[in-house]
Amino acid sequence: MRGSELPRLVDALRGPIHVFVRESRARIALLVSGAGQVLAQHGFARGYHVMNVASLAAATHASSRALAELSGASRWEHLYHGGRERQLFLAPLRTPLGELILVVIFDADSSLGIVRLFYENLEREVAALPEFQQQPERADQSSFEQDLEAGLEYTSPEAASED
Amino acid sequence: MNQLFSAAVERVSRVAGVRGALLVESEAGVPVVSELREGVNETAIAALAASLFRRTAAASETADFGRLNTLQLEADDGHVVAVDAGDLILVVVVDHDAQLGLVRYEAHRAAESLA
Repeated sequence: MRGSELPRLVDALRGPIHVFVRESRARIALLVSGAGQVLAQHGFARGYHVMNVASLAAATHASSRALAELSGASRWEHLYHGGRERQLFLAPLRTPLGELILVVIFDADSSLGIVRLFYENLEREVAALPEFQQQPERADQSSFEQDLEAGLEYTSPEAASED
Repeated sequence: MNQLFSAAVERVSRVAGVRGALLVESEAGVPVVSELREGVNETAIAALAASLFRRTAAASETADFGRLNTLQLEADDGHVVAVDAGDLILVVVVDHDAQLGLVRYEAHRAAESLA
């Protein structure tokens, strides 16, 4: 997604992500594009954490998709890690504009079932947003890095300036 | 084990007025085995019933009422009965005019068969 399109998309996502976090009782939520651009975030204290998790989520998404294709599963639904105190849920969010990636960290105050339920609601809501109906401009090589960093600037300007 | 779970769910589902029954993993809130009428959202019922059961169990213990055995939710058009089954919760979705006593009895018997 081009940097010029991001403010519109980031604004449109604020409401749905707020509802998702409230209803699912997630501690941390991050929504990134397939390229790792940050589109929405909740619960991160530092900008470099956001960028690290966004990059790892994009890489995990690409690997999982490739693995699903290789194994004949065609597409993957979600990845889940149940830690002792915190749990991680990572899933593709399908929109007309392309796949986004949702990363959620939650604790005993929520559950996998609750997160999965409100993830499905979030996917439906985002897919219906008017801002996600148009085909995006293609990024070229020279603008890619600039576009990648633009997401963090729009979602958490304080965090972006500290790095 | 899977047969045991299926048998427990089938037993409750046979009661008149039961729209469906499911065994839910209590910590994760995800369905293990289910038998539901068409149109009943399995993911939502499992997640929300498990969440409600866990929170009510916490409230029960906080109030010194001990371990929660049964949770019964009554609404205008139906009931939800959730029974403790160890690491699982047996959730039964029931029509408004069903015989709740029989549903509860069968749900407890089914939960006991899993202990």
